[in-house]
Amino acid sequence: MSGREYRIELAGNPNVGKTSLYNRLTGSFEHVGNWHGVTVERVEKKIAFDGDGIVLADLPGLYSLTVYSPEESISRDSILNDKTDLIINVCEVNNLSRNLYLTLQLLEIGAPVLLAVNMIDELKKRGKKLDAEKLENRLRIPIVPVSAKYKADAKRLVEESARYIKSGKKRKTELTYLNKLPVKEFVSIIGRNAEAAGLKHEYAAIKLMENDAYVTDLLKLSDAQVKEIGKYGDLQPVVAAARFKFIDEIMRDVIVADNSLKRIAEKSGKAGFRGGIAIDKAVLNKYAAIPIFLLVMAAVFAITFGLVGKYLSELFGLFIEKCLYDPISNSLASVSCPAWITGILCDGVILGVGGILAFLPQIVLLFFFLALLEDSGYISRVAFMTDGFFRKIGLSGRSVFTMLMGFGCSATAVLTARGLEDEKMRKKTVLLTPFMSCSARLPVYSVIASAFFAKGQPFIIFGMYILGAAVAIMLAVLFEKCFKKLKSGKLSFIMEMPPYRFPTFERIWQIIWNNVKIFLVRVGTVIFALNVIVYVLSNFSFAHGYVVGTDYKSIFEYVGEFFAPVFAPLGFGNWRAVTSLLSGLVAKEVVISSIESLGGVSAIFTGDYAALSALAFMVFTLLYVPCVATLAAIRKEAGRKWMLFSLCLQLSVAYLCSLVFYWIGRLILSNMGLGIGLALLIPVIVFCVCVLASAAKKKSLCGCKCAGCTRGCPNKNKNGGELRK
Amino acid sequence: MTLMQVQINTEYKITRVTGDGNARRRLLDMGFTPETEIYVSGVAPFGGTVLVSLRESFIALREDAASLIEVERI
Repeated sequence: MSGREYRIELAGNPNVGKTSLYNRLTGSFEHVGNWHGVTVERVEKKIAFDGDGIVLADLPGLYSLTVYSPEESISRDSILNDKTDLIINVCEVNNLSRNLYLTLQLLEIGAPVLLAVNMIDELKKRGKKLDAEKLENRLRIPIVPVSAKYKADAKRLVEESARYIKSGKKRKTELTYLNKLPVKEFVSIIGRNAEAAGLKHEYAAIKLMENDAYVTDLLKLSDAQVKEIGKYGDLQPVVAAARFKFIDEIMRDVIVADNSLKRIAEKSGKAGFRGGIAIDKAVLNKYAAIPIFLLVMAAVFAITFGLVGKYLSELFGLFIEKCLYDPISNSLASVSCPAWITGILCDGVILGVGGILAFLPQIVLLFFFLALLEDSGYISRVAFMTDGFFRKIGLSGRSVFTMLMGFGCSATAVLTARGLEDEKMRKKTVLLTPFMSCSARLPVYSVIASAFFAKGQPFIIFGMYILGAAVAIMLAVLFEKCFKKLKSGKLSFIMEMPPYRFPTFERIWQIIWNNVKIFLVRVGTVIFALNVIVYVLSNFSFAHGYVVGTDYKSIFEYVGEFFAPVFAPLGFGNWRAVTSLLSGLVAKEVVISSIESLGGVSAIFTGDYAALSALAFMVFTLLYVPCVATLAAIRKEAGRKWMLFSLCLQLSVAYLCSLVFYWIGRLILSNMGLGIGLALLIPVIVFCVCVLASAAKKKSLCGCKCAGCTRGCPNKNKNGGELRK
Repeated sequence: MTLMQVQINTEYKITRVTGDGNARRRLLDMGFTPETEIYVSGVAPFGGTVLVSLRESFIALREDAASLIEVERI
């Protein structure tokens, strides 16, 4: 490779398909989804093109160069630092006029822009076409209509980009609306400050009109300057309106009906925007919305854990046992191989690792449904309809994204919290997400529940998921009411709903494959190695070697017995249970593989209350630290202090909850009547206390519904200006 | 009247966006400029959040943001 190296960035509004294009162009598998803010980091990759190298970067989506959340500022900084040869501004054709708002801002700062109009195939289905030539003549930048679905389109995009960069042409768009704004006047007032701050004059002037906090801080204006600028009045809506008016002029007759496409449009019927409204009328119906959502989730769980997934997993497990374990252990026995080698190979590796591998079908199913919910656009509707509830506990509908993703993998879900604008809410979401039961915990419930609660297994598993979510919600209430540092109060919530899309097989496969790959790699590396280590440490001792069949204690037996008394009140104070919990810190699946290699569930949960202690163990597994990877993710998002807090929180919540479960269970088992009575009475008492408490709070304040609101009463100050500063 | 007092499945026109700071700027950036027509698609089950469509896209707004948008019926 000789040639030059070009730098190209993909920028655009959220959910226009930047990452889909990026994956197409670079052959990557970055996560995509039909909702906003999937990409939270800048990623780049070098590709070869025509003897030249192109470093292509994918930026998080943004609406405007005035930013609101950390991931948007990554994009803004990247765009402003001026090191790119070309910005491919990705737009979505269904939403072109709104998308062009960002384009204008890019042109305002004089960035080299090429416009990629994505999802052009969706327009065809609606029987319309884009007059790219007309748009190009008016905007005077290259326009490339593409559909990220097709490889040929992506290739054409790179070709056009390279040609545009090589041509070295600087096309000048005439942004006529700027003449109507007092740009020159502003530049003459703040020019020097802009110089000192290293900003482009015009950019600084326009951003100042827009009241942009970032630029205003950088400019360090004197009081006199502020006063002089104040004379021009409130220009914020004027700037926005001017841009949109300009866009409307540009867009006139650009998207036109195409008669040759009429038949396609009729075939696809009401699909598209109006079709979306019709679906929303049903799905977002005031009364039906929540029941529909619960039904959908129940169906997902029933299929994944009960109807289909369970049998597939059992079949897979049976296959491993009959086709791997039995023949290998028999043949090893027939050649009289030493017991400890057979032990490591068969019990440690095949049973332990195979026991986890058997869950592959369920994990595939779980991610299939998560991908389906995500890609169709339904998950955004869930965020909208649950927002009313979540705002009451200091979270927003957007936290639901992160938390639902937590059913997949806690560590990756925590990273998606970056899209949340408010810092406190972000921290809270990060702290709560680990309580959502991730796919790694599934094997633990599944194995234990099938051993002790044969018939009720799907219900126990579903119950664990509900319990995790319930704990998260209760903690959110607790944080909001009692913990000043995490109290988010009233927050604004502005979120765009993506249109409904028919999920494509390719994208769903991509999401499943990404996650299955992670799962398989974990099974093959960390889990495999840990299983061998756990097996060795729990079956060997330093002084006496292999200890199975002898009275000597293994290494883990000593360590486990040291911690075991701590867990005695929870009903599983034996070294085997403690050992598996400890090894589960690295990866939750290891909990069950350790159990398998330590003699199976029946050897661990013994005594009169075996089933109950098994239940307490499941509760503990659900709620304690998911894995070190999640802790690392929390540290990345919220800092070391909050990671330590989260660690303590998870351990104490897990301990308390299993304690409560175990002893309430004991009570019910030993005295049925008293137990049931108490179980009924306690919710009644809690309910009464809550009602009384909220009634007392309402009376004490200004009469309006602003209990616990620290920022003044919204009824007194209708303009709401004090919110979100 | 503000977006908080609207009926669903009805069209309105924006007359003014009040307030200051981030929320207002974001509203303007998303296209809630005066004279724009919007359609109210729904209200969240627990109230306080409203779903509108404007410029061929759907946007969900909470009470505080919605109360900044003044509209009139068309």
